Amino acid sequence: MARHRGRGVATIEYPTGMNQNGDPSQAWVKLKPDGRVDVFAGTVDIGQGSKTVHTQIVADTLGVPYDWVTMDNTNTDSSPVCTGTFASRGTFIGGNAVRYAAERARERILDIAGKELEIDPSDLEVADGDVVVKGSPDRKLSVGDVAAAATWTYGELITGTGAALKPFAEVDDDTGAVTEEPHAAISYAACVADVEVDDETGEVTVLRLVQVYDVGRAINPTLVEGQIEGGALMGLGLGLLEASYPYYPSPEHRGGEFGAYLAPSMDDLPELDNVILENPSADGPFGAKAIGEMANNAQPPAICSAIFDAVGIWVTECPATPERVLRALQARAEPRREGKRVIFDEEISLRRVASKEGVAKLIDGG
Amino acid sequence: MNLTVNGVEARLVSPPLASLLHVLREELGVTSPKAGCQQGGCGACTVLVDGEPRRSCLVPLATIEGARVTTVEGLGRPDDLAPVQAAFHEGYAAQCGFCTSGMLIAAHAYVERGGTDERGAILEALGGHICRCTGYAKIVAAVSAAARGDVATQAVEASYEPVPGEPEVLVKGSPA
Repeated sequence: MARHRGRGVATIEYPTGMNQNGDPSQAWVKLKPDGRVDVFAGTVDIGQGSKTVHTQIVADTLGVPYDWVTMDNTNTDSSPVCTGTFASRGTFIGGNAVRYAAERARERILDIAGKELEIDPSDLEVADGDVVVKGSPDRKLSVGDVAAAATWTYGELITGTGAALKPFAEVDDDTGAVTEEPHAAISYAACVADVEVDDETGEVTVLRLVQVYDVGRAINPTLVEGQIEGGALMGLGLGLLEASYPYYPSPEHRGGEFGAYLAPSMDDLPELDNVILENPSADGPFGAKAIGEMANNAQPPAICSAIFDAVGIWVTECPATPERVLRALQARAEPRREGKRVIFDEEISLRRVASKEGVAKLIDGG
Repeated sequence: MNLTVNGVEARLVSPPLASLLHVLREELGVTSPKAGCQQGGCGACTVLVDGEPRRSCLVPLATIEGARVTTVEGLGRPDDLAPVQAAFHEGYAAQCGFCTSGMLIAAHAYVERGGTDERGAILEALGGHICRCTGYAKIVAAVSAAARGDVATQAVEASYEPVPGEPEVLVKGSPA
């Protein structure tokens, strides 16, 4: 009876958003008379930080400080359509919508500034809240003055709308050829798990998770890290602890309390080593791809591989509870089927079967 | 029934067996304690009763007559945060925020008792609090920082400078 250590690895690729034009997000941006910016978009922030990221995207696109921008996603009357926070689409599709809206508003800022400065708008740029004449940094006008001029001199509202929608891809039924790429961007990740397995109790402890995520451009690395770390623990829960319906689809024996439904606790926190790999996409806002849903996919298979490495058994159903680990260990020690002693060992059994001519041909691929 | 909540004396009309959580949220409108599992299993409703962290969902009002109750509203102000609040703020130790009130109260009590930045001791003090997002790594790091006194006591200005300890970026640059 002993504790055994093992290491496993798993990788994942994950698409961004949905496809076949079922996945629109819309946004609009307007300037107050003092140049402060209001953004209306429906992407819901559930703690992953999309409000922060959308605000960053708008601020950078417009060329104004971050704290000038207020993002309002508080109600469905003032916000345009967003299909929701799902499918890892928030930053990519919602972010593109606010970027397009901010680009249009920026054009309007330059138009009005061009009139005020009597310069062609194409010779102007916006940086740090000022509209500046290219090549002549002393000639400038603050965005606040531009918004005031729009309001009080020209009787206009500086605004911009934008929408992001993955176009419909026609599929040729005969060849399978498509008119559009089916996915806008694919994110990739790998996870290495170090575990310790107690062969007496069947208990598995995750000691360390090393995770590398290619998320395109990490617009906010701290929030990306929050997703990586959060996903690590959720994946650990899926791999070892959480079974909401042990007798699915029967709701019998469903856990009704945290003592019966085991969510990962602080005690389960392994050593985490996170790496963000920036491999920017052509289509995402500032090269961003996605991380949302992919963050808790690679850990369960990595953990199960590590269990195999540690004690030589495959747990083929998650979560790898102590009971399942012990049953698998027992099945290896005492192979039985329907009460009979049955041994299948890949090495021994295939060699014996292959010694007969016909089957040997099959195995050799003949 | 009487309580002193965040330094303010309150005369209460709730029945004696009402939970402290119910009294705080429904009678007094103090909403930082969250009604999570309401079985004592998640920690989101934790408040300080005479300085000790307690699950307010399991505390009948009658058992704490006259006690001093402190919630997150009483820990600090935006311009004068308690050390644990400043540490959570600096360390991004919140995602959705539902567990944050309870975590802050437990962490505050731990630091006030002279808790150290030792990981095992922090897990012992906060182990009964569930974060479903789950930001345990940053929460533990923030409590460590607060225990070391390694925090400013007021909200920091947004900074564009890279922060030590941010994730490693292997391939720099983007087409944007």
